[in-house]
Parts: sequence; structure tokens; C-alpha cells
Amino acid sequence: MDVVVGAFPFMVANLSLLLEKAGEHLLISLIPLLAAILIGVPVGVWLGHIHRGEFLAVSITNIGRALPSLALIAILIGMVGIGMLNAMIALFLLAFPPILSYAFQAVNSVDADLTRAARGMGLGSFQVLMKVELPLGLPMIISGIRTAAVLTVSSATIATIAGSGGLGDVILNQVAYGMEGVVAAALWVAVLAILIDQFFVLLLTLASPAGVKHLRRASVAV
Amino acid sequence: MTDTATATSATSARTSSTSAETNSSIVFDNVTKTYPGQSAKALDSLSIEVKSGELVCLVGPSGGGKTTALQLVNRLVDLSRGEIRIGDTNIMDLSPIELRRTIGYAIQQSGLFPHCTVAENIATVPSILKWDRKRIEERTKQLLELVGLTPVDAWLKRYPGQLSGGQQQRVGIARALAADPPVMLMDEPFGALDPITRMAVQDEFLEIHRAVGKTTLFVTHDIDEAIKMADRIAILKPGGLLAQYDTPAEVLANPADDFVAEFLGAERGLKRLALTTVAEVLGRSRARADDAESRRAPMSSPPEDRVDWPVVAGTMTLREALSLVSAAHSHGARVMDGDRHLGDVTLHELVCPPATAVDARGTAGVRS
Repeated sequence: MDVVVGAFPFMVANLSLLLEKAGEHLLISLIPLLAAILIGVPVGVWLGHIHRGEFLAVSITNIGRALPSLALIAILIGMVGIGMLNAMIALFLLAFPPILSYAFQAVNSVDADLTRAARGMGLGSFQVLMKVELPLGLPMIISGIRTAAVLTVSSATIATIAGSGGLGDVILNQVAYGMEGVVAAALWVAVLAILIDQFFVLLLTLASPAGVKHLRRASVAV
Repeated sequence: MTDTATATSATSARTSSTSAETNSSIVFDNVTKTYPGQSAKALDSLSIEVKSGELVCLVGPSGGGKTTALQLVNRLVDLSRGEIRIGDTNIMDLSPIELRRTIGYAIQQSGLFPHCTVAENIATVPSILKWDRKRIEERTKQLLELVGLTPVDAWLKRYPGQLSGGQQQRVGIARALAADPPVMLMDEPFGALDPITRMAVQDEFLEIHRAVGKTTLFVTHDIDEAIKMADRIAILKPGGLLAQYDTPAEVLANPADDFVAEFLGAERGLKRLALTTVAEVLGRSRARADDAESRRAPMSSPPEDRVDWPVVAGTMTLREALSLVSAAHSHGARVMDGDRHLGDVTLHELVCPPATAVDARGTAGVRS
């Protein structure tokens, strides 16, 4: 308990260090996250739209779950060497599966009656996607991004063994910073993860068309 | 094509009045559908014509290909062999999207978009057709009035989740009618409604159908719904074969084969009684009586033995009147319009309604 209490004076005394490390931490987690979103969402949405590639989406997710991030980084050290690039590749591989599979499921699981009604009325394939599938799938797509974001930010801690910097530098260096430093940095990682998660909740609310907001309210009420 | 329409207009005035402007008949010409990977045919050499303005029900057990037949028309399913024409146009001559925008489409549980308001749902097709805003707004309001969701302003901004099943179905119909398509396809649209709501929505839809006169192909598994709604019924049997295509009265009176008879059920005779109203029977028996210059309908106080007869309205079906007569253990019913006594119908007349004046004489047009 003393150590936890002691973590706060450490934060005050080493604010600039923590800020610098937190900045690195955000950098090495957000870049791979963004890359995973930019590739995973369109691919997942497209596969869901054409109702193909369920096997691919599920397999990638399972591999992603089974793959220990530590092992991944160790392997990558052998392949790309030590440094930020190593960490980012590892974190990308970690973030990609949930984003892809959630995006796929989000669109693939939209009620077939609705898409049939839309096509039957004369909406083109792209119009069905934009008017029906994306609005209805949006909450689930964002859920996938949230899962990936929390995973990436927390796993970035381990990336320090590849020499990429970040708050992991403090956490894994008890000798230099003491137990108080370890706890302080760990708390920062937790807060960062929560903030990022909440950022995407906010984004969902801002990006949702009125009807999607209505649906979310309705599902909360039930 | 036009010749047929004019030729038949003598027998069905209602049909001809709507087909006068454009020919919007749906013709299935030897249509066969086999789904890939399946050896059995979903639909086997179907040839029927749905005339302009007619409401035709496709009925049959599941596996009869009725939904397939419907989806072939708007090309949600592609046909394997044969030809389908709407008016004089082969549906294969249009792109699927072009084609579908000229066809209203309503499905079970309404298929409304849950994230769109009532107004947005109805405006789906007009907005992809790039109608201007004002026109869409006017059309939306007009349609809500047509389907009886008034005052209109109270419904525009609601979401489907806030409506009852029957209300959703009405919006679904309004949406299908939005761009004023000449043809409507309806796939078990009332299948998910409770019996009371279903009756009400059926009645409303019939009224709308009479008012707007769209050529309508209507899929249902419920033979009673088909008897009530349809001008003609197409009964499909497993394997996608057409068992019979005729008016409800004719199908009930003369089932083409054992399959149709069984499908219509043991109450076939009673169902037939639901096609005739008490007022029609009264008219027919009076027409005969006039001919014979014999009995007159009693207009003053009823004879003593008829005091206990139940009172029925002229608009009731024979089946409903018979039910009341049976419940009252009487030999007939007294037909009243408010306080006015229109005449009596006997049990015998209810069970064996006199043939129409036309049928009885074998000559047309003497009396209607």
C-alpha cells in the first residue's frame, strides 16, 4: 500500500519523465492502431458486405488471440532487429484481428431481410452498404476498435524489451526507478488505456447518425 | 396484349378501369428456376398472367416456390428458363436496379430500416431517384394519410421500434408505394401480425388496392388470406408446379385435384360462404321472387316464428351470418340496416345460396 501511495509523489517529482515516456507510449501504440483501422475496417466491411471470408476473419482472430505478444516481439527482434519498428509491427499484428473480425461481423450480421428489402427497392450495392449496413454496423465496428485500442496501449508496455521506449521503460526498470516508479508508470498506462477507450466512445456518439443514436438508447432501455 | 385487356374488360370492370392508362400486367411465360447445387426445381414451367390492376395471391406449402416466383419478378433471383414480362417489357431488358425502382416491394415484418424514421423509410426510393425535397415531403404525407397514419405530423419523426406491428406494416406498404410503381410485390407482408391486427391491415390494404389499382403479386401461406384478398389465386405445390390458377370462388367450388382440395381444407364449403354477403343473397332471392311474382320480403313486423331470429347486417358474409344463426338455434336471420328491415334470409338460403341471376338464367346482363 505504501508503494501505491508513494507512486504519487514520484509522479510529481518525475512529471517530465512520465510525460515524455507517455508520449512515446502513445506514439508506438497509436500508429499501429491507426494502420490496423485503416486496413482492417475497409477489408472487414467489404468482406461482410459480400458475405465472404468468414473463415478468414475467424482464423485471423483466433491466431491473434493465441499469439503471445511477448513471443511476437522476440521473434521480430530476430527479423527486424531492435527498435520502434519492431514494436509497431508487433502491435499492428495484435490490433488487426479484432478490428477486422468485428468489422466483418458488424456488416455480415445485419439482418438479411433488411438488405433484401433494400435491394428489392432498387438500391445499388454501394447504396445498401452506405444506407443500411454501415449505419447499423457502426457500433460494432467501433467496439472492435475499442478492444484493439486497449489491447495495443497495454501491450505497448512490453514493447520496451525491443528497445522502443514508452512507459514500459519505467515499469521494467525497477532498479532505476524503484517500486514507486513502477507503480506510477503502470497507473499511467491504465489511465491512458481508459482515455483512449473513452475517446472512441465519444467518437461513436459524434459519428452516429441520429437513428443509430436512437437505436443505442433503445437497446440500453431494454 | 391490349386486345386481351379489352376483351376481358367486359367481365371485370374493376380491372379494366385501371388498365386503361398503361399495361402493367405481369406475365410468367414457362418460367423455371433451379437453384445452383440443387437437383429439384424450385419453380417448374410456371405460366400465368396477372392482369393490370389485378391482385393475385401465390399460395402453397413451403417448398412450393412462391417466394421464388415473387423474387424472380424483381430479379432478386435470376431465372433459369422462360420469360417474365411486365407490360410489354421483358424484365431482362432492364438492369435489375432500374427494374426494381418501378416495382413496389413489401416483405414480412415490414423490413423497415430501424435506424431511419418513418419519413426517411418512406422516402427511401424517392430520395435515390433524386426527387426534390418538397416533392418527397408532400408524397410522404400523402402516403401516410393513405395508410391511415394520421395526424401525419405525429408519425413522421418516429422510429420503427416505436410502432406496433400493424403500424410498421402500414409504413412498409407506404414505402413500397412511394415512387408510385405500377406493380407491387408483397412477400407474406402480414405474416407476423396477430389475427386481429392482420384482419384490420388486410381490410385497409384491400381498400388501398382498390383506390390505387396496382397490379399486385401477393405471397401468402394462409389460404384464408388469399381467399379474402385475391382476384385470382395461384396454388403451387411442392416442386414448384402450378396446381390451379383461378378465382377464389372457382377454386373453392371446383378444386383441380386432390392436392388443392386438401390444401383448401375440410372447411372448403364454409370458406366459400365467406365470399358472398347477406345482401347479395337477399338481392338474388328477391330477383327470383319477382320473376315468379310470388312472395314479397316482409317489411312490417315479423311473423311470430321469426321473432327470435338473430339480426344480421347486409355487409356480413354468409359464413358470419350462419355462425349467428347456428348460435341462436334459429332457422334464419333477419337482415337489418340500422332500424330498417331489409328482409329475411333462411337457413337454407345461407347454406345453399341461390345462384346469381346471371347464372340462373344462363344469359348475361338481364339483371345485375
